[in-house]
Amino acid sequence: MTRTNLDILINGERHQILIEPHWTLLHVLRSVVGMMGTKENCLEAECGVCTVLLDGKSVNSCILLAGQTAGRSVTTIEGIGNPEHLHPLQAAFIECGAVQCGYCIPGMILTAKSFLDENPGRRQSRDEIREAIAGNLCRCTGYRKIVDAVALAAERMSVAGAKP
Amino acid sequence: MNAHSRRVAGQRLPRLDGIGKVTGKHVYAADFTLPGMLFGKVLRSRRAHALIRKLDISRAAAIPGIRGIITSADIPAVRFGQAVRDTSVFALDRVLFAGHPIAAVAATSLEIAEQAIAAIDVEFEDLPTLFDPEAALDSNIRIHPDWETYKALPIIARSGNISGRARIRAGDVNEAFASAYRVYEHRFTTPLVHPGYTEPRTAVADWDANSNVTVWSNTQLPFDTQNTLAEILDLPAARIRVIVPGIGGGFGGKLRIGVEHFAALLARKTARPVKVMTTCEDELTSAYPRQATVVTLKTGVDREGRLLAREGRIIVDCGAFAGSGPGTAAISLQIMAGPYKTPVLALEGIAVYTNKVPSGSFRAPAGPMANFAVESQMDIIARDLGIDPLEIRLRNIVREGDLGPSGEIHKSVSIEECLRRAADAIGWEQRNPEPGRGKGIACSWWMTTGGSSGVYVKINPDGTATLVSGAVEIGSGAITGAAQVLAEELSLDLTDINVAGVDTQTAPFDYGAQGSRTAFSVGNACLAAASDLRRQMFDLAARQLDAEVNTMVLRDKHVVAGSKSISIAELARISRLSGGGLIAHGTAISPSPAYDPTRLENHPLPAWNSPSYHAHAVDLSVDSATGSVTINRYVVAQDVGFAINPTYIEGQIEGGVAQGIGQALSEEIVYNEGTVVNANLTDYKMPTAQDMPDVECILVECASAAGPYGAKGVGEPPCIQPPAAINNAIAAATGFWLDSLPMTAEKIAKQLRASRA
Ligand code: FES
Ligand code: FES
Repeated sequence: MTRTNLDILINGERHQILIEPHWTLLHVLRSVVGMMGTKENCLEAECGVCTVLLDGKSVNSCILLAGQTAGRSVTTIEGIGNPEHLHPLQAAFIECGAVQCGYCIPGMILTAKSFLDENPGRRQSRDEIREAIAGNLCRCTGYRKIVDAVALAAERMSVAGAKP
Repeated sequence: MNAHSRRVAGQRLPRLDGIGKVTGKHVYAADFTLPGMLFGKVLRSRRAHALIRKLDISRAAAIPGIRGIITSADIPAVRFGQAVRDTSVFALDRVLFAGHPIAAVAATSLEIAEQAIAAIDVEFEDLPTLFDPEAALDSNIRIHPDWETYKALPIIARSGNISGRARIRAGDVNEAFASAYRVYEHRFTTPLVHPGYTEPRTAVADWDANSNVTVWSNTQLPFDTQNTLAEILDLPAARIRVIVPGIGGGFGGKLRIGVEHFAALLARKTARPVKVMTTCEDELTSAYPRQATVVTLKTGVDREGRLLAREGRIIVDCGAFAGSGPGTAAISLQIMAGPYKTPVLALEGIAVYTNKVPSGSFRAPAGPMANFAVESQMDIIARDLGIDPLEIRLRNIVREGDLGPSGEIHKSVSIEECLRRAADAIGWEQRNPEPGRGKGIACSWWMTTGGSSGVYVKINPDGTATLVSGAVEIGSGAITGAAQVLAEELSLDLTDINVAGVDTQTAPFDYGAQGSRTAFSVGNACLAAASDLRRQMFDLAARQLDAEVNTMVLRDKHVVAGSKSISIAELARISRLSGGGLIAHGTAISPSPAYDPTRLENHPLPAWNSPSYHAHAVDLSVDSATGSVTINRYVVAQDVGFAINPTYIEGQIEGGVAQGIGQALSEEIVYNEGTVVNANLTDYKMPTAQDMPDVECILVECASAAGPYGAKGVGEPPCIQPPAAINNAIAAATGFWLDSLPMTAEKIAKQLRASRA
């Protein structure tokens, strides 16, 4: 085994991890760091449940080699809010009834966050939101309430005028 | 109690597991790990039908990191199965479909397990194959040559490749057809579709020092899994403990044992905890999809379009094992009858083996397939007779007190209201707003699934309550709904209810998170438990307050007797010192309606409990060049009896419609010569956010006498009508109906070209 050292920032904390060259970021997050909020399903960049933010942009962690993330900053669902201080997206998902089984939700919220962060201070149309989250499959909801939640958060965040 | 006085039931309150789910803290089966855990993998056949000539594991066993390999030689040849005991853990002497398990390995990493799978040496001798269910009916190729030796439920009629056959009959169809004004005959087909839950099936198993096994899995039916494991492992069920952490959807696909037995057997072999999780390819080649079907319908009507007689036959392709095929074939009969008054019926459902993936139950098994046929044909008849599609339905729908197909009496019937409200909402008077655009409608009915439920409810010393149920919160919000019923009855807030996880060792029995039953049945069990708790609290309060029980009420977390009161919390503390605490067991069983047994043959679900009624209306556009369909609006009017939590009922409806739209327009497991050619999520096309309209929900509340506050089952119905409603709207837009699902752009474009030529 030819393990190499990976220096990576996860949710603001620096980690130094010995990795094998073929390990994905998803594997590192779930099996090495133990951050189970990032989910796994298709492992081929089709369903979106493994979405995390890499330097603020959404990526599918199941096909990203961990080695490619060296020196970069990864944000997972654990890094954007917690039960005491929910991110506006997390609060809106609960308020709008957008959560059912919940397995798609961490990825969905991070995709939405990346989208809203790219367009700060702007309200989003439902079509724009639908396009932004089209890479994240949800089998429970039919998406309507998810779109409601993202629109509500976008509105609140644009009113607040700043990223939380 | 009237609706206005309810503080909790009927309110749009946030679900109890929401915060855990949005913060990533909710633990799913896939997230569950144990120290020293190994990873299991299953070797699956690539042949569709073949004898196993040689199975050599020696090369695989020598790979460093391999801790154990099992094949059929290591375990007793137990056959299990729901209706027919035709399934074994591994292929015995032969494989019956591409995907059939042959061996399983456990290794220190997934990669090593995969290498070992590749290193197992199997030699096959191909056998003749059967992929077409109609051909399988009278082929002399036998997929199960010794089917007669398999045990089966007595209600299951088998022969040859037929794993089950059920009938409903009333009157003489031939006579009725002879006197009909017109008789219509059509044939429809529907493909295999996958439930598409986002969390793969997963199990972690671990044996303790006393040779008891615990399995953490995302099963919908922990008690069924426990029983099946007991048979496979040859142990009393009590020594098998099934715990369900979170579950990432199921939709019927996680009803039956999936990977739990592999995990348990590998863990026994290696004396280490073992995790087994499916891949996307496993899911699409060897999970439990919805059966493919062939439906033929012959319907006789009078001049006004009134139904006189219907002969229907559904052939359900159950794949290599019967699974829920016989049940699905039987349930299809009620859907083929429709929510219609048809005096003469001859309906038959047949489940037949083929060399394809064994299928299972997917949300409203039989619903979308049979309804696609019935409701498309209703429109075809209406067009031919020059009657409006809404009008022909209104002339035929059942009313309060009418006889259903099994001779049962229809009660709490709301189908007219559903049809009228859905039609009004979609703007029915203008069915073709512009060229290439049309509106369609379809209706149906569905059971509230039966079975029993038990709950324990314990009052904690802080006055909150803990709800212990054997029913899994699969995502629908049903357990939050049941907790709302409990909170309402105990004068608590919803957030005062703590829901314990499901554990077969501690939870009372529940028939399972299947069908449309959880909020209904667990809610009823909560009503019973609350009534017992009230009695216990009143007895205790009588002594504390020196008051008569019959003067007491429960209000605002207190027992109140005139001007005196005592809090629930105080009573719980007193009871802890004097009587072991306040705890109650509540149970519920759905009532079985009376029916006419002379109409039925081999039907395992003869008459439906507290059925619901519903109508869907859709407005869509068809691209004249490409044939692609864009859904402009989608309206559902569904009778839910009583909306315990309207938010999550809407969620169920919107999600069910999304699955129905997938089945209508894009989803299909495609076989070529026995091999699935689209076993990935790129080629198996589920709707994305861009494919879905904002589904509009109209909740009709026509109370059932049997449900909590009148509630009926909710979860499955929204999946039933989308294919038919969409087909009828396509016909309104183009002039033609499709006769096979999915109604892809290619199929529509082909018909568009043909109709232009
Ligand atoms: S698991 Fe990464 S996209 Fe599906
Ligand atoms: S909430 Fe279940 S997959 Fe989205």
